[in-house]
Amino acid sequence: MEPEAPAPPASAEVVNSIRERTIAENSMVVLLQGLQGEVTTVDLRNECTARGRVLNVDAFMNVRLEDVLYRDRQGRRTQLQDLFITGRNVRYVHIPDHVDIMETVQNQLAKIHRVRNFASEGGGRKEFSKKTK
Amino acid sequence: MRTEYYFRHGAGGNFSHDSLLRSCVAVSNMEERERVSETDRKETASNPELERDADPNVEEEGEDAETLDVCSEHFNPLRALYAPAAPPLPFPNIKCFNNVSDYESFLKGGRGRAKPENVEKKRRKAMKGVADPERIERLKKLMVNNPVAESEEGESSSSSQPRRRRKQKPLRNVLTRMPLCKGSPLGELYRCVQERIRVKVHIRTFKGLRGVCSGFVVAFDKFWNLAMVDVDETYREPLLGEAIYHEKALTVSRLFEKLRLQEDPGAAEVGEKQEKAGEPKETPEDRSDRPAESRGGGRTAEPGQSESAADKRDEGNVSQARRKYGKVHTRHINQLFVRGENVILINPQPL
Repeated sequence: MEPEAPAPPASAEVVNSIRERTIAENSMVVLLQGLQGEVTTVDLRNECTARGRVLNVDAFMNVRLEDVLYRDRQGRRTQLQDLFITGRNVRYVHIPDHVDIMETVQNQLAKIHRVRNFASEGGGRKEFSKKTK
Repeated sequence: MRTEYYFRHGAGGNFSHDSLLRSCVAVSNMEERERVSETDRKETASNPELERDADPNVEEEGEDAETLDVCSEHFNPLRALYAPAAPPLPFPNIKCFNNVSDYESFLKGGRGRAKPENVEKKRRKAMKGVADPERIERLKKLMVNNPVAESEEGESSSSSQPRRRRKQKPLRNVLTRMPLCKGSPLGELYRCVQERIRVKVHIRTFKGLRGVCSGFVVAFDKFWNLAMVDVDETYREPLLGEAIYHEKALTVSRLFEKLRLQEDPGAAEVGEKQEKAGEPKETPEDRSDRPAESRGGGRTAEPGQSESAADKRDEGNVSQARRKYGKVHTRHINQLFVRGENVILINPQPL
């Protein structure tokens, strides 16, 4: 297998489901979604830790990590290509020092706002107006 | 050219054209009337004007052209039918009917009648895949960053109103919901956020207390998910197996006591007395489901008990684990996100 080129820093994509967008928008999951692309450590409920690059976080805090160093309770280290963690099993997520929490949250909220209002009236004009002016 | 023709033949040959006219077999009334009027005109013509000359001349000399011309007044259909060549039609692709009644029914709007709207529909269908330049222009005008100024004004005036209406609707997201909690325990937490009060967050394990995170809350939500900074975490990993039943439930005070004991084993007896005093202190924001908060009871052997129990179990474990097992740990984390599910309670630290 050829070595893959380094992945782009942030996928910067908002979930397509309206339901998930609304759930995420009204909770702190947006902070984690803003961390997509960063290398972080996730502490699990079972006292294990997983350190890797965050690929994707959804509204239910399910986390996908890549290139993971997984450390179990005993401290044994395992290298994993891809790891999916159920939202409920997350206890902590370490936020990198260079990340500004408020700024990340606001950026992510702005992205959701933009996507939500993309095709609605006013922000996006309609080709044929529904009512006579 | 026509008039020239008429004038050229104006001099002679009158009689021959007249006879030709008369020799027509079936003549319509209109034709007769015309002939009559034409003879009248001939008689009354004193000052031959261009038009007057043209009229009789047309009848006499220009007959061929006009009688066979479908558009002209003097069209002679019978003559046209017997003519050697078909008369030239002004519209080559004209619709052909078999009889007059066909034409009548077509006019009344029979099946397949080309009404204007149908024609338009058919045309649009045929042009479906083709890019319509008019539509492209319309879409360009709708584009937001389009330099087309005049059309934008029209659009923006109509769309600014709905935009204003939309903005009136309140914006609701996680950040705006934080101050809304005033009057509830979360509102108290919001006060801690605003006033940068250091808080202690009790973290749970599957059964009981895991540890305490001391730090500043930057943001939170209704699930008690917290974004914290400058966190000092004091915790103990949960014991496995039998030890859970034997050990007294871990409390905050005991946790710190253990920590102290770890650091300084000599302070055992002094610590116990302090624990007794420290127990009754209960936090006002108690949303806890703190299990088995035992106050009092024999504590003399407690620290020793847990440690010995831990030691026994450690025999089979990896050396690294044995070193850390059952021990209280501290660590500092600059920025931490805590899932609300793991929070037992939050204790704003006294000023």
